[in-house]
Amino acid sequence: MTTLSARDTILKLFRKTKGCFLSSAQISSELGVSRNAVWKQIENLRELGYQIKAVPSQGYQLVSSPDTLLPEEIQIDLETKCIGREIRYFPETDSTNLQATKLGESGAMEGLVVIADQQSQGKGRLGRKWISPPNVNLYASILLRPRILPSEAPQLTFLSAVGICRAIEQLAGLNPKVKWPNDITLHEKKVAGLLNEMNSETDQVNFVVLGMGVNLNMSVGQFPKELAYPATSLAIELGHPVSRIAFTRALLHHIDLLYSDYLLDGISTVRKAWTERCDWVGRRVEVNCHTQIITGVVQGLGNDGALLVATECGIIEEVLAGDVQLV
Amino acid sequence: MEIKDLKALIKIITETDVTEFEMENSEERIIIKRGPEKELVQVTAPISQAVPTAPPPPQGTVAISAPPVTESTEADDQYETINSPIVGTFYRRPSPEADAFADVGSIVDQGQTVCLVEAMKLFNEIEAEFKCKIIEILKEDAAPVEFGEPLFKVERL
Repeated sequence: MTTLSARDTILKLFRKTKGCFLSSAQISSELGVSRNAVWKQIENLRELGYQIKAVPSQGYQLVSSPDTLLPEEIQIDLETKCIGREIRYFPETDSTNLQATKLGESGAMEGLVVIADQQSQGKGRLGRKWISPPNVNLYASILLRPRILPSEAPQLTFLSAVGICRAIEQLAGLNPKVKWPNDITLHEKKVAGLLNEMNSETDQVNFVVLGMGVNLNMSVGQFPKELAYPATSLAIELGHPVSRIAFTRALLHHIDLLYSDYLLDGISTVRKAWTERCDWVGRRVEVNCHTQIITGVVQGLGNDGALLVATECGIIEEVLAGDVQLV
Repeated sequence: MEIKDLKALIKIITETDVTEFEMENSEERIIIKRGPEKELVQVTAPISQAVPTAPPPPQGTVAISAPPVTESTEADDQYETINSPIVGTFYRRPSPEADAFADVGSIVDQGQTVCLVEAMKLFNEIEAEFKCKIIEILKEDAAPVEFGEPLFKVERL
């Protein structure tokens, strides 16, 4: 029996006993291992942050669970069709997008979710870093294999943005806004960022990785001073921490619903939900497109997801890539 | 470029120690090479434009040539292109400070990333589908690209 499945079995046993004692004999017979091996597994769980009381002649009692994003915790009551049926967890990795891409290249199934507690090379746009300290946030990448044209894949960006908004609304009762193309803000401060990557042939998508970083329990002091945008977290906005496990479960649930809807009916539901959460329509923005800066008034989203900006010369610019700021 | 400007440019170059000068804009490409004995000026312009003929400079020799139409077509037949699968922005490097994925003359293996095309934060790593040599980079860094538009001219190896 692998460490992972042994851990899963013990946690399931604890959950069944609902806070009562679980004898060492019971665990060893369920796992089919010696009592000494059971003790090792319990130690293993303690290292992961589980508080387990051991009383001679009575056995073990689960006192508290850590808010660690272990697959077996997230998957409790996770009723999704596709997203998160398989979850890979890394206590620390370079970047969940890199890991998901590697797994995608070696044929991993659609719906695979890669989660890391900490990233050493969290990715932002154009080589910028996504600050990824441990124990506080969610860094996740979802692998999708949609049968769409590569030219349609950028639409999926809006899907993950809406998924995160819905999870924030459900879990924290806050009103997140979206900033084109897909930052998520609370009171004009960035709370989540998305970075998607595609692996494709000329006429077919091999896979898309939806990368997301959500600031859940990060404190003010954990944000570096030189950030390009003001940032916040759910805990800062609420004044108390949120359960990372519950948030992740809610997020996977919403993305699962949005994705199956997308495959059936296309992008219209997502676009509508996104536009409802965008309060920049009608406002003046400056778009830095690397080679030029466009200033104008936001008109909305084009069919392909481009930001429509009406410039002073009366032209509607279709922006497909760039940094947008209110002016 | 107008003849008088070209003359002025040659004059400026010849008054310096510069031995080689190259300039490129959306319309034309000007190369001036100087040696101890001769000067060579090469202007490459789109075929539709009249090829300017400059009068001989005060000293040395000047050659002005545009690639003949037939020759370039034949040359292109040897080459293939790597095209963009999506509408977006073309990036030659992973971040503004980093080295380019590939330069002219680079030999890239099958599956090696040659550039990124971004559309709405979806980054598409464009890979070479076969081992090849980069002959020409057809787009400026950070330029908008259309669906199916050629990004690189390559020679299959």
